Amino acid sequence: MPDAAPLVQVRHVHKFFTRGSERVDVLQDLSLDVPAAEFLGLMGPSGSGKTTLLNLIAGLDSPSEGLVRVADKEISAMSEAQLARWRTRSVGFVFQFYHLMSVMSAFRNVELPLLLLPLSAAQRKKQVLAALDIVGLSDRIHHKPGQLSGGQQQRVGIARALVTDPMLIVADEPTGDLDSKSAEEILDLLQELRTSLGKTIIMVTHDPRAASRADRVLHLEKGRLVNETRAGAL
Amino acid sequence: MLKLSLLLLQNLARNPVRTALTMLGTIVLVVAVTFIWSILTFLDEATAEKNSNLKAIVSEQWRVPSQMPQSYARPLQEGAARDADDYKVPPQDSMTWSFFGGSLDPASKTFENAMFAFCLEPDKLLTMMDELDELQPEPKAELAAAVERMKKNRRGAIVGRGALEKLKKQVGDRIVLHGINYKDINLELEIVGTFPEGRYDPLAAINIEYLIAALDVYKREHRGTPHPLEDKTLNLVWLRVPDMATFQKVSQQISESPSFTNPAVKIETQAAGIGTWMEAYRDLIWAFRFLIAPAIIATLASIIANAISISVRERQLEFAVMKVLGFRPNQLLGLVIGESLLLGGLAGLIGSAGTLYIVNNYFGGIKFPIAFFGIFMIPTAALVWGPAIGIGASFIGSFLPAWSARSVKAAEVFAKVA
Repeated sequence: MPDAAPLVQVRHVHKFFTRGSERVDVLQDLSLDVPAAEFLGLMGPSGSGKTTLLNLIAGLDSPSEGLVRVADKEISAMSEAQLARWRTRSVGFVFQFYHLMSVMSAFRNVELPLLLLPLSAAQRKKQVLAALDIVGLSDRIHHKPGQLSGGQQQRVGIARALVTDPMLIVADEPTGDLDSKSAEEILDLLQELRTSLGKTIIMVTHDPRAASRADRVLHLEKGRLVNETRAGAL
Repeated sequence: MLKLSLLLLQNLARNPVRTALTMLGTIVLVVAVTFIWSILTFLDEATAEKNSNLKAIVSEQWRVPSQMPQSYARPLQEGAARDADDYKVPPQDSMTWSFFGGSLDPASKTFENAMFAFCLEPDKLLTMMDELDELQPEPKAELAAAVERMKKNRRGAIVGRGALEKLKKQVGDRIVLHGINYKDINLELEIVGTFPEGRYDPLAAINIEYLIAALDVYKREHRGTPHPLEDKTLNLVWLRVPDMATFQKVSQQISESPSFTNPAVKIETQAAGIGTWMEAYRDLIWAFRFLIAPAIIATLASIIANAISISVRERQLEFAVMKVLGFRPNQLLGLVIGESLLLGGLAGLIGSAGTLYIVNNYFGGIKFPIAFFGIFMIPTAALVWGPAIGIGASFIGSFLPAWSARSVKAAEVFAKVA
């Protein structure tokens, strides 16, 4: 989608850590644009910086240098509390290991981010049921994570990510812990979110089959973008 | 806020065994502090000066225990009033005490067969004795009937429930009390009644006339030689005065009277007098107030800190996920502290309310003999102490663990998981 205005802008971002007296550069002078409603894949070997980049875009971490802008908001300049508020409404996060609250039902897990918004119980219920319906788990709302399969848990994770209706969904190895059938279903679902709901999706993956579902795949190596692949080329 | 409160309950329910054990530890320690504070509060109240309807104690100035001659009794009971403009204490507002310690077994005097008694005018049990002068109608009628029996039968004695239990005696029994302080004075007593349960459980009351008569008998049997304590039978005189100004007036009358010079006497308010008595226990009370109670609260805070620390450590990933979902650092701080306060406050309330109900209703108070107090009731203020101790200790104990939950770096936690 070359003509769409970029939802995510990353400009000359550096991220480094210091280990003793040694400086470890994780990202080096990295710039990229992600248009709205794009399904972007991030690939690269371990330690290439793809998860760090995802965390910067999701507002979980701040760059050492450079700026990150999402929907015209410069999140790299926000405080921790401001970022937390921003994340509630603007970004949904899908984890490799789902990270659901084991003591809560699917309904309660999906409802969790809505507790931070000024919504009535009825409004929350409506949104939770809608999100669970999108991921096809309307019949599992009272099940706890331990009573669900890996694929179903990841669907709950996706429902939790989209329940606040964020513009951006970031996914870190969302199929990494799933069998191939469940992985295909999750990728179908992510594609559906982009095509039907217009969500912008950024997905980190090691799996070329998962990456092949993206509109565009960026390859990172040693903290730099080294290659870009368009859909169908993988 | 209510929405987040539900999260607190869910978090406490996630590990019921740990929550229950932490609550149990909190309850036990709150019970211990409630015991200590009940005693300290009672003593504080007993030594707090009143401004009206206050009691004064007259005792020997230079000797403890005070041993005044019985001839001092009548003029002191009148407040040493001599002139027309002096304040004369009404008869119902005075009382004399003579202490008689005795044993049921003259050959083997042990704590188990010993009893301590006040020798006094029977009527004064109803008008001058602390707490007995404020009884509810039913126990007051029972005590009044016992006092009547004591007046009719000079050998009658009213014995506290604890003393009866210890001596394995009951109302109606006859006993011979062999004097410990009054050597060779044996009082043949008939137990004509008992005190209402509480403060006077370990004590007894004997008619002063009988003690004086027994000393006369001793004198007769010893060819006119008086008992060594005959001229030292008056231990304390109690006076009730309407206000502090009257107390000052009576105090001046007594101290300026030429009748009380050998031995010299002193007058002080009940609060000051009890304070003087409590001097002997000063170190013990200090230790209770400033060492034991704070140590228990510190232990409580440590227990809670330990439990919350373990919980926070186990839930690092959960806090990281919550941060990703948009929970702000201070919300996580509040969540963890809130869990702790809920647990501590609830356990504190259970501990203190349970202590209040069980100790006062089933055990008749805390049996802790100190000075002439034997039993301490748990005050209703304990209903506030318990939650306050629980909440205070929880806050102190949970703050650092909560701060660590607040400071969780989501990206670092996920990097470790990956």
